[in-house]
Amino acid sequence: MIEAHGLTKRYGPKTALDDVTFTVRPGVVTGFLGPNGAGKSTTMRMVVGLDRPTSGTVTVNGTSYAAHRAPLHEVGVLLDAKAVHKGRSARDHLLAMAATHGIGRSRVDEVIGLTGLEPVAKKRVGGFSLGMGQRLGIAAALLGDPRTVIFDEPVNGLDPEGVTWVRQLCRHLAGEGRTVFLSSHLMSEMAQTADHLIVLGRGRVLADSPLRDVISGASGVGARVRSPHVDHLVGLVRPEATDVVALEPGLVELRGVSAARVGEVAASAGLALHELTPVERSLEDAYLALTQDAVEYHAGTTGAPQEAAR
Amino acid sequence: MTTTTAPARTGHSAGRGVTFGGVLRSEWIKLRSLRSTWWCFAIMLVVIVGFGALLGASAGFTTGGAAPSGDQAQQITVFSATGGIAFGQLVAAVLGALVITGEYGTGMIRSTFTAVPRRTSAVVAKLLLVTLSTFVVSLVAVLLALLVTRPMLAGIDVEADLGDGDLWLALVAAAGSVALIGAIGFGLGSIIRLSAAAVATGIGIVFVLPILFQILILSVGMDKAWPANLQEFSPSQAATRMYEYQVEGQAGLLTGVAVDGAVVLEPWQAGLVLVGWAVLLLVIGLALVKRRDV
Repeated sequence: MIEAHGLTKRYGPKTALDDVTFTVRPGVVTGFLGPNGAGKSTTMRMVVGLDRPTSGTVTVNGTSYAAHRAPLHEVGVLLDAKAVHKGRSARDHLLAMAATHGIGRSRVDEVIGLTGLEPVAKKRVGGFSLGMGQRLGIAAALLGDPRTVIFDEPVNGLDPEGVTWVRQLCRHLAGEGRTVFLSSHLMSEMAQTADHLIVLGRGRVLADSPLRDVISGASGVGARVRSPHVDHLVGLVRPEATDVVALEPGLVELRGVSAARVGEVAASAGLALHELTPVERSLEDAYLALTQDAVEYHAGTTGAPQEAAR
Repeated sequence: MTTTTAPARTGHSAGRGVTFGGVLRSEWIKLRSLRSTWWCFAIMLVVIVGFGALLGASAGFTTGGAAPSGDQAQQITVFSATGGIAFGQLVAAVLGALVITGEYGTGMIRSTFTAVPRRTSAVVAKLLLVTLSTFVVSLVAVLLALLVTRPMLAGIDVEADLGDGDLWLALVAAAGSVALIGAIGFGLGSIIRLSAAAVATGIGIVFVLPILFQILILSVGMDKAWPANLQEFSPSQAATRMYEYQVEGQAGLLTGVAVDGAVVLEPWQAGLVLVGWAVLLLVIGLALVKRRDV
């Protein structure tokens, strides 16, 4: 269980986190989603006491991280794959981490096996691929058999097999009743792993709800219609639609109403249609819709925002 | 690669937490598992023994051919055996700084402070280990240097009395000065965090500061005592004074003639001055380390 209350972080005039409050519960995988620079990593570093909040508090299993007698048994954390000295072997790194808590060699070898690091365990970390670095970070996080795990962008640099493995691992850990908190900037990744989503944009919590609520709340059906009588048709459908976007003369996109419904309305009014395309908003679109105003650096926007963002 | 996912619950969560002994063991694993540590120790050994041998071989110039008195023999013997100590101090300053800046540079510091979130014990353990290991290595080196230089000195009729406690004290103090300069390098590293900047500052303190003091003393004039007093309490001068074999009424072979009326520290006092510097830097470093985000 991770509880954050009013976390705020300012670097000079710049506010990186603005009054962030959330709870991460045990037994489910909680995704921490947001564009790069939204403040995910900062928040995660605060949970384990590496960064100090300007104001606000965060506790893990009821106490601040540093106050735990055996922090590695409470929380396992993968912050970034580069939190390792390049000149040291993977095994020595894990042995050194383990020694602080009196964790034995057998557990070190266990996590090496668990993460598939055996072939490179005695090699220096400097030569590791990004994926191997991630596996080492996950191995370190699991050393203390912790009740809570925090993974910052765990699938970065992993091959497809590794990605599947991380997903299974997260599901498995949550299945054992542990608290699993993982971040990503990819909605599609979260959709396959998380049960609950906390969406962060520009340092604020934009959404904090079960995955399917976030998706259905922000996405929805729609239709693209080309017709010589487009104005007449829009007049008829307007009450049912949530939004209407004129794309070009004679072509509109209707949101909140299905293509089938638009077709029926057109048929009963006797209006000719030249084109009718169902427009389903994907998860990525739902996510974009949520964070659109919260992206720090937009790509140069030309044309319709939806098109430009793709 | 494996697709096994179960991290077996084997009761690791039972009880044991962070202990200072555990942190010491962890830092020891870290220190000995890096090549840079062994390189520094090897270089330390080579420069201390090597420069000792060089001074031993050229000691004839000091005696001028005449058979030295008993005190002079002791002085020359210590002078030769510790001939490479200044270079040893330089390497120790580098190693001391790297032990902590290397962690900041690679991001390892985040792993360290996740395992030891209160930070102080990790920093103190690092300092203790780098200081102690440097002491042991430089003591071995200085004893080897004595072994190497003795036959050379015997060739020019310099026969030291090995029953003299002051001689051994000077040799141990020489190793101590290397260790304490290492501790000062570590303190600088914990404050500065960047390897290159911390190493440069360490070198500045060991090698450049003494030159600046010489310039200051000469430009102010030998009749004024304050620049010399200031120098006497600088880390470099204290680290030299600490292991100089002092003979009553004679100028030191390393520090030269004292300015009239200036303070001249006893070796043990110089040692305390050096400890003071190391502690001061550690305290500042700890205060910063505990406050900073990593």
